[in-house]
Amino acid sequence: MKDQVSLYNKIFISSLVALASYALIKFHNYMDGYEIAILISSIFAFSWLGFSWANFKNFFITIFLLSFLSIFLYQGNLFIAEEDFFLKYFLSSQSAIMWMSALYPLSLIIYWFHLFNSQEFSGKLASSLVWIATTLGTSGLLIRWYESYLINIDIGHIPISNLYEVFVLFCIITALIYMYYEERIGTKKLGAFILVIINIAVGFLLWYSFAKGAHEIQPLVPALQSYWMKIHVPANFIGYGAFAIAAMVSMAYLVVDKGWLTKYLPEKEVLEDMTYRTIAIGFIFFTIATILGAVWAAEAWGGYWSWDPKETWALIVWLNYAAWLHLRLIKGLRGNLLAWWSIIGLFITAFCFLGVNLFLSGLHSYGEL
Amino acid sequence: MSSMRFAITMLSFVGIASIIGTILKQKQPYESYIIKFGQFWFDIFKHLDLFNVYQAIWFLIILVFLITSTSLCVVRNSPSILREYHKFQDQIREKSLRSFKHSYEIKIPIFNKLNLISLLEKNSFKVRQKSNPSGDLLIVAKKGSFQKLGYIFTHLAIIVISAGGLLDGNLILKTQELLGLKEIQTQDIPLSEIPSKSRLNVNNFSYRANVLLSEGEKQDVGVIPSKDGYLIQELPFSIGLKDFNIEHYSSGQPKSYESDLILTSKSTGKTKEQKISVNKPLTFEGVTIYQSDFQDGGTKLKIMVTDLQSNDKPQTMNAEVFKINNLIYMDQSYSFEFDDFRLFNILDIDSSQKKNSQNVGPNFTYKIRNQSGQANEYQTYQMPMKLDGRYFFVSGMRPTPQEDYKFLKMPADAKGSLEGFFIFKNLLLDKKNIERAINKVILSSSSSKAVNTDNLKLSTSKLFRTFQQGGYNAIALSIDKNIPGTEQESAANAYIKIILLVANQILLDYQSTNILDKFFNFEDLPLFTQDALNAYSDSFFYGTPLFLELKEFEHVQASGLQLTKSPGKFWVYLGSIMLVIGIFCMIYIQEVRLWILKKKNSKNILLTLTTNRHHLTFDSYVDEIKNKINALSKKG
Ligand code: HEM
Repeated sequence: MKDQVSLYNKIFISSLVALASYALIKFHNYMDGYEIAILISSIFAFSWLGFSWANFKNFFITIFLLSFLSIFLYQGNLFIAEEDFFLKYFLSSQSAIMWMSALYPLSLIIYWFHLFNSQEFSGKLASSLVWIATTLGTSGLLIRWYESYLINIDIGHIPISNLYEVFVLFCIITALIYMYYEERIGTKKLGAFILVIINIAVGFLLWYSFAKGAHEIQPLVPALQSYWMKIHVPANFIGYGAFAIAAMVSMAYLVVDKGWLTKYLPEKEVLEDMTYRTIAIGFIFFTIATILGAVWAAEAWGGYWSWDPKETWALIVWLNYAAWLHLRLIKGLRGNLLAWWSIIGLFITAFCFLGVNLFLSGLHSYGEL
Repeated sequence: MSSMRFAITMLSFVGIASIIGTILKQKQPYESYIIKFGQFWFDIFKHLDLFNVYQAIWFLIILVFLITSTSLCVVRNSPSILREYHKFQDQIREKSLRSFKHSYEIKIPIFNKLNLISLLEKNSFKVRQKSNPSGDLLIVAKKGSFQKLGYIFTHLAIIVISAGGLLDGNLILKTQELLGLKEIQTQDIPLSEIPSKSRLNVNNFSYRANVLLSEGEKQDVGVIPSKDGYLIQELPFSIGLKDFNIEHYSSGQPKSYESDLILTSKSTGKTKEQKISVNKPLTFEGVTIYQSDFQDGGTKLKIMVTDLQSNDKPQTMNAEVFKINNLIYMDQSYSFEFDDFRLFNILDIDSSQKKNSQNVGPNFTYKIRNQSGQANEYQTYQMPMKLDGRYFFVSGMRPTPQEDYKFLKMPADAKGSLEGFFIFKNLLLDKKNIERAINKVILSSSSSKAVNTDNLKLSTSKLFRTFQQGGYNAIALSIDKNIPGTEQESAANAYIKIILLVANQILLDYQSTNILDKFFNFEDLPLFTQDALNAYSDSFFYGTPLFLELKEFEHVQASGLQLTKSPGKFWVYLGSIMLVIGIFCMIYIQEVRLWILKKKNSKNILLTLTTNRHHLTFDSYVDEIKNKINALSKKG
């Protein structure tokens, strides 16, 4: 058994290295030093994740197999998606993302079912659905990356550059963080809460895509053409995702605190601990993301801090969670207040993520250059 | 002031102030605030510095308080943390050990001190041992001491970052302003007349200045916008723009903005030529230069001025963006103020399809001011656009910037030019032509019936004169006045039909005498005629009879650069790295202390573990250690 595992690990890492080397050899002319560094560090990051988390390894391998299958089917021609059955219904980025959007709601329902009947089967089914949805969503993004290059070589870019794309990113990152804790803590009961926020994002995604045609791939404005985007945005969304989970767990905490569903949900201490841990991880990533944002701003706009609305709101989010951590760690505060606070924190976070784009203007809305 | 409560209060203040700053749009021209809030609130907001929150004195004071409070906190807590860092607590009494939550008696069949210590060391503990005179052995171990250092790192980082930020802020400039040493210039005056009070010299160690350069231009100062005016920043070099380039995606959206710069040092005479673009700045003599903006740099325009309502000869005019041309025409004096030229215009014109943005070519924007000082704003496209399947030359007019443009659409002729329309307009305004055409139309339509053709001719000529003088609108007015209500509609239809027939006839006549030029070679000539009549009629709502047609242009662009010197940047980045390390230490390193007390003649040991943070995982960690020690004690 042990040998098998380590063999699997070896295969995993070798394919990661092979993949990255292939990318390096084939595309190094298109990359600058920073991008090569990002590529190489991501080998380490993903190896580590795969090593310490078996399901992630399976997930990772599957998304690459699916993406390669899709690329193979495309044969370098975007219009094949109209004719090829598999592409049309499963593996064009838009179809894969639509499958994701269908499976998350389904798993939400099953999680609620599982919450009350506690059968092992329903729990497993719900988790598997989340994994499948997440796999398809991630593959969808990767395929979209490829599709953007098919449209035109100079339009091609990493698909984390507009609201539609980052909503998909939000869904999959939140799902991944949750799956991690689900395994660690050994309860599937919280899915009923976490999947709510993911599905809200799915709802927005669908509305945005149908009503506004937001899924069209658009070229990048000059300010976004930077390697910084490749780390700034994902780091930010790990933060957002973690804060969202913290808020939903706090919701569960408040429910238990009221004396509701106590038979079904984990104990208060477990919920509280999980809130802390997700806020802590979110805080680290959000800190890193904000710093990277400042470095990027320094390069693109000529100043590391311009009090642009998005920057300012990132600071507000950051200060909010810093205060939360102070109260919990130093004052030893526990309980309702912190739970409410983390829920309100989600609203502040949501405003930073969405509200700023919708209601305030500034450099981040790329209205100008 | 070093209390947590004070710090949290200050943090909340910063938060609230920041929110205000994002909701109230910052650094707008003062007039726009007055329009929005009215004079009363404008004055109040201005006094509170709400239009520039982040540079307001009170905001800076809060920041300074926050830094002080955090510094005091660090100063107060650090010594004990540093002491703790080195200290093993080996003076502890058995009684206090027993009072901890995680304190266990463990049976030890075989006690092997060295194995125990190496077990602890394997689990990354640092270990000390101490025996009393009475023969008891105390093993003291700890791990994760870095967690405490994390506190110092994090909070020092905040101080370092804020200090770096203040270094780059305008605190010094503000002080100089308060002392009356510097003064913001609010007038728009030539560079050479700006007094030294409004100039900052080369040695200024921190600034963010703008430079706007037209292609071929050179400058050695920058402008620092400030409140309702500006200051001039002298630069250690001159900066020239050789060329500015916008590249476009095939869909027309901008892909890159690039400036070819020539820099010449004032002190050493050294020069450097380099291309910069968005995300790819350049540093020269300690100043970093960024591509930040672009606009027109005075494009030269060759324009043809045509009177749409007379058949006067058109005049040519040489103009330039940002300049004013004057023209006296028909005893009226006009001034043309050219505001902008754009080479690319991405429009979504065909609304039938979902996304159909396309580049419709150059346009230029200008105002035409009449003698009494009133002006309309115009935006005229050079190339024809396809609307409803036909091509039109399009020009928009609006009386005020708050309104949307209303567009005059003149049909393109069969050659794709405007000339056909102008010919048509001239024919339409030529009396003899019209009479001839009217005769022909009436003869061909009324030959069978013997009506009074003279009368018909007369009324048709009259109708046409009305149209000439005011388009369809004039005809509608005369119908309103002269014809009873019930017959108005049928009269209008008949009139429109006659006008169309006559106008079409004019063009047919023209075609037959000018066989060589092919302006009107349309399959469906009446359609062109109809469009042309509409355009002529609409020209009465265009605000001026003068139409400015862009014939040729020589594109001159200007590149907006930002020049910054920011000595604080290093400190901000350094602080950021400290911050990440510090937070990481605090959150992810768990400090654990462990004691093992072995009484001389006892078969048991007392195992005690403590941590300063009680997370749930600690319980399982304690179990893990306990099990390992148990297992060891059985093996020895
Ligand atoms: C700009 C203001 C401040 C910020 C952004 C800030 C940020 C932080 C952060 C992020 C943590 C880590 C929490 C954790 O362990 O996860 C922390 C911990 C802490 N802060 Fe602050 N802090 C600030 C001001 C202060 C002030 C003024 C004090 C003094 C009372 C203070 C005292 C502490 C203490 C005692 C800890 C816990 C140290 C430990 O036990 O490990 N902080 N702070």
